[in-house]
Amino acid sequence: MNDQVSGISLEAQEENVRMIRESAGFLRAPDRMAAVRAARHIMPGITPADRDAVVSMGWLGMRLPEERGGVGFGLAEFCALSEELGRGLLPEFVVQAMAIAPLLPDAVLEQALSGERIVIPAWNEKLGDPDHVEAALTGGAITGTKRFVLTAAAADSFLVTTAGGAALVDAGASGLSLSTLALQDGGHFGELALENAAATPVEGDVARTREEAMLGMSAYLLGMAERTFEITKEYLAVREQFNRPIGSFQALQHRMVDMYLQIELTRAAIGKTARLLDDAEADREECLRAVSRTKARASDMVLLVTREGVQMHGGMGYTDDCDVGLFLRKAMIVATGHGSAGWHRRRYARLADLANNRLAA
Amino acid sequence: MTTELERRAAADASLSDEEFRVVVRDWIAGNYMLERNLRIRPPFAYAKPWYLKLSERGWLAPGWPVEHGGLGLSIMKQVILVEEQERYGCCRLNEMGVVMVGPLLIRFGTDEQQKFFLPKILNGEIRWCQGYSEPGAGSDLASLRTEAVRDGDEWVVNGQKIWTTRANDADWIFALLRTDKSVAKHAGISMFLMPMTSPGISVKPIRDLNGGEELCQTFFENVRVPHANLVGELNKGWGVNSALLGLERIYVGLPKHSAHALARLHDLMTLTGAWEDAAAVDRFTQFQFDLEDHIALYEAALEQVSRTGQFPADISLLKLSQTELCSRITEAMMDMGGEIAGLFDPLVEHDNLFLANQFLLARPTTIYGGTSEIQRNILATRVIGLPKQ
Ligand SMILES: Cc1cc2nc3c(=O)[nH]c(=O)nc-3n(C[C@H](O)[C@H](O)[C@H](O)COP(=O)(O)OP(=O)(O)OC[C@H]3O[C@@H](n4cnc5c(N)ncnc54)[C@H](O)[C@@H]3O)c2cc1C
Repeated sequence: MNDQVSGISLEAQEENVRMIRESAGFLRAPDRMAAVRAARHIMPGITPADRDAVVSMGWLGMRLPEERGGVGFGLAEFCALSEELGRGLLPEFVVQAMAIAPLLPDAVLEQALSGERIVIPAWNEKLGDPDHVEAALTGGAITGTKRFVLTAAAADSFLVTTAGGAALVDAGASGLSLSTLALQDGGHFGELALENAAATPVEGDVARTREEAMLGMSAYLLGMAERTFEITKEYLAVREQFNRPIGSFQALQHRMVDMYLQIELTRAAIGKTARLLDDAEADREECLRAVSRTKARASDMVLLVTREGVQMHGGMGYTDDCDVGLFLRKAMIVATGHGSAGWHRRRYARLADLANNRLAA
Repeated sequence: MTTELERRAAADASLSDEEFRVVVRDWIAGNYMLERNLRIRPPFAYAKPWYLKLSERGWLAPGWPVEHGGLGLSIMKQVILVEEQERYGCCRLNEMGVVMVGPLLIRFGTDEQQKFFLPKILNGEIRWCQGYSEPGAGSDLASLRTEAVRDGDEWVVNGQKIWTTRANDADWIFALLRTDKSVAKHAGISMFLMPMTSPGISVKPIRDLNGGEELCQTFFENVRVPHANLVGELNKGWGVNSALLGLERIYVGLPKHSAHALARLHDLMTLTGAWEDAAAVDRFTQFQFDLEDHIALYEAALEQVSRTGQFPADISLLKLSQTELCSRITEAMMDMGGEIAGLFDPLVEHDNLFLANQFLLARPTTIYGGTSEIQRNILATRVIGLPKQ
């Protein structure tokens, strides 16, 4: 395999990944989960402290080329950071915000990077089908309804997809009304009703950006699962019943190994998909297939790991005080959104035309 | 002279199971006065009229002998009463007194204990909570350490219980306590009854994963309990408790829980158009098979009960089968629910479909009353006969 990805050596990339993980070190602090727990169900869905951290670390510029004020990182770095955000349950719309930054026009971008303006994508319209788009863009205005918009109350602008391309809409635009639906993780979805709302079309490959965001969400799920797995592993080592650590029971050991296997499969899939998407020559459909394979795996995997985490904690797992529950309730949103595992499998099967394409054995 | 209870007991006993079912069904339809199909177990204050109505008819504690205020009905008829209430959507009662404490006292209690407590269970005056689990003693319950030390005619209790369901809405607690530290762990445990108002008992609710506050920590600090509140023999508490297993297995094994979840999965698939998706249909069909076969297993167990008057040795298969099926159905709700899977509130416009609630409520069912792992250990060694670890 080519060891030059997006123009940099693998060694340089590894160094970037190390740096980027370091920049997210505060998400591994011991009191992180207490802060996450306390922030639930508080609008607009991100704490001032988290927001400041995102801005001051310059994360939103990670995917931007240097000439636009960024550091030009590839998807390997983007996925590494998304994974860290998942470990620390930083509100996951930040993954989307990082992915869409390159699409923003200069003036908006500047405000986004300085933290003055949060831009959140509004891709979805139909339950269970991220590809269904009916909203219309005509004469510089959008009419339609966007649903399941993550953390919409935090947005100063929305990047709205329409049948006629994507456009930016100011959150305060006349003709836009926002309602919210509370979620199990303490966050919310927004529903945007747009009635001739003034919009500024954006250039760029929005469809491709959405794929990158879906890949980023897979990495976010990986980070969540890793942390859940660690918490559970620690508990199995310290919790004793029948005069021995419960982790010594093979009934639990084997299931820990099953979870470990799923986590490692997910990590491998993310790494390979990130490299594929970073390759400018890569076939577009192959990229979509790889993203679907990865998000499907990550979704199923995180639900398994968080469910098992609860079960293996016994009564403790069914308390609000147990950190595993925070991950379970986040998984109920991130695994099921951004294309559920089922949606991604169906998309893959269609694109790969599986019936007519037998794997070479 | 025959009492009213004796007359009713004889009348109910004279009916065949099928006739009895019809009588019960009609009576429930004519007498149930509260809201049907409540999602949660309501507070006792709400459920009390129904509790008393059943009690008056003799059907609150149908298995208790007539001399203690029951009807002495067969296990099969008791099950029919449970099933018909579930079918009609009657609210769940705080049945700990009826299902656990009553039978315990009838079998092991003193005359005074029976005379004092049993009528107060039947008239709803005393509501119970179960103080077994401790921070250090869950699956390994016999290692419990909350201690009772004798002081003349009293015992002094110190320690802590946890996961005490509804300790914050109970009048008395029945608790397993350590009364002899010098012997093997199963041999030094005794069962005591204590009023929750005893000086030195304090209760702290625990917020659960689904936002409920029924689970509690219960603390004991120099709580004085009269010797008369010991149930059964001193240091024989473990055997006292083990003698009780039975009816609650039937409760958790009721197919109704899974059937309800499957009906909601059906609603979800209609809402999302998943009936067009062959994989989803296959998955649903598998659940339907699992449910039908669970019902067959459940009925076979009941048939054995009605023939022998006893619960079969592998009765805990019903708990495993039912709770795990229900869990898997709710997992499918997450897989198929898409963006609505994680909503915090029910979907009012879709008959209150509430996927997240179903999923979260299914989680503890494989933990309480003996975790799935412990059930499997017991089945492996005691039923299948595999060697112990
Ligand atoms: C909703 C709810 C209500 C409850 N109500 C009550 C109540 O009213 N009164 C009361 O006294 N208790 C109550 N409990 C407590 C319940 O009985 C315990 O939670 C249960 O027995 C498990 O004990 P634990 O929580 O200490 O878990 P642990 O025993 O610590 O178990 C942790 C994990 O280790 C596994 N494990 C343990 N031993 C083994 C083994 N030998 N082999 C394989 N795996 C093993 C368990 O299966 C579990 O997955 C309730 C619990 C819940 C969740």
